[in-house]
Amino acid sequence: MLSKEENERLTQTNAGTPAGEYFRRFWVPALLPAEVPTPDCAPVRVRLLGENLIAFRDTNGHVGLIDEFCPHRRASLFWGRNEECGLRCVYHGWKFDVQGTCVDMPNEPQEYGFENKVRIAGYPTCEYGGLVWAYMGPPQHQPELPKLEWARVPEGHRYISKRLQETNYLQAIEGGIDSSHSNYLHATVDAFRLTDSYVEKVKNSNNLRAKYHLLDKAPWFTVKKTDYGLVIGVRRNAEEDQFYWRLTQFLLPSHTIIPYEKGLAIHGHCWVPRDDQTCWTWTISWNPDAPLSEEEWESIRKETFVHARVDPVTFRPIRNKDNQYLLDREQQRGSTMTGIHGFAAQDQALQESMGPIVDRTRERLGTSDTAIIAMRRLLLQEIRGLAEGREPFAAQHGDVYWVRSASLLLKRDVDIGEGARELIKAEV
Amino acid sequence: MSLNGDSRIPGTEDVDPAHIVPVQDFSSKTLRSIIDHLKVSTDFEHLVYREAELDAIWTITGFFLANEADSSRREAVKDLHACVHKAHDLVADRRPAAAAMLLQAFL
Repeated sequence: MLSKEENERLTQTNAGTPAGEYFRRFWVPALLPAEVPTPDCAPVRVRLLGENLIAFRDTNGHVGLIDEFCPHRRASLFWGRNEECGLRCVYHGWKFDVQGTCVDMPNEPQEYGFENKVRIAGYPTCEYGGLVWAYMGPPQHQPELPKLEWARVPEGHRYISKRLQETNYLQAIEGGIDSSHSNYLHATVDAFRLTDSYVEKVKNSNNLRAKYHLLDKAPWFTVKKTDYGLVIGVRRNAEEDQFYWRLTQFLLPSHTIIPYEKGLAIHGHCWVPRDDQTCWTWTISWNPDAPLSEEEWESIRKETFVHARVDPVTFRPIRNKDNQYLLDREQQRGSTMTGIHGFAAQDQALQESMGPIVDRTRERLGTSDTAIIAMRRLLLQEIRGLAEGREPFAAQHGDVYWVRSASLLLKRDVDIGEGARELIKAEV
Repeated sequence: MSLNGDSRIPGTEDVDPAHIVPVQDFSSKTLRSIIDHLKVSTDFEHLVYREAELDAIWTITGFFLANEADSSRREAVKDLHACVHKAHDLVADRRPAAAAMLLQAFL
């Protein structure tokens, strides 16, 4: 449980709030390069950390991210004309470059030199790892880019999707690191009921996760604080002399990496506050060793796992709360626990059902919520640290992000820190 | 700090702050174990485990209070429920020893 004040401190991210200032110490994913594909293309609206912004790619190919509203009469620059290294407001012709500097003001006498005195918010951007990132904090604290493995693999080895989630970012992270929900929310009815046919199928399969989740319903939860965030360990009894471990990574301020099986694609998320009521879900699938396989592309196309189809303009998922996520009660009776297709929509349905900002003073936690408690405490500690003048270490040390998740069988007497040391190092 | 947690048989170990106390009830035995763990908790991870244990006690005392018809039994648990809330906040404030002292009254 959190106090009302703690809940507010964690979930409010507008400029000037403690968490808002914390997020503004990191590079955050802002948009897909394809949203501004070519020089002088149409500008797009971007809402980030409670700010209404406009992104545009100028004549030289640089991406600008500037305040949406022209300072003259507050008209939206979304209607602006992207021309000759700047975005021109079509109301009275004021023009701004990618830094937000006014470079032309044709409706004022030139001798006043008024344009040199006018600028709007313009944030640094960087194209990296298949995304346009933005830094919205003080220039003197501009951080290093996080050396995330997925950002460093070749193009064909990675797929990134963007979708709107209608909850605060914290609810989404909590879902991402809560490993106990997958046995229910993402399960089939047979898996939940442990039908004979399911048990038989799993016992003889190579799917270690399914096999050992079946054998041990009461796992151990552990956490370890690191330079970049947390390693969250879940340990289950496996064979007589072995434990089955799954290690999830939480990387500040809001990245996660899901435990993966060696040889398969790795999946992760980054949740960025759009405002206090909504967030952007960035979902990344990557394979450091090879291009994504046809099977993996098929899973992406069919939305069976972590990606979901969205409206190409709003990025709102096709399955959303207005159409009850296309819930199929027949399927729920006979096939899957939710009757909702795909892990992404299942997560989103349940997280959005809690309301945009869940009242954490009313929740009832248990020891299986250890990871959630740890993540909140870490973020609160970091946010308080910044308010007291301590800059976030991870923001200034991009190298610490060079990690991945893991799942492994390990002899019971081997320390997981030792046993997984090599596995949780990124390779690319 | 190890991720391994503790694999020794419960009840036979020295108090290990990296071990999460299994919370199935709010008996004196469970409370004593949590208090013992609070007394030796120092690291971030230890405090997270203690907070999770206290959350669990708060949850089950809360359900008890909501469902128990006998007012005298309810009255007895009400104080513990409130005290666990305070102890939880002390742990969040990195004051596990103070939390242990508060809970001691319920043994």
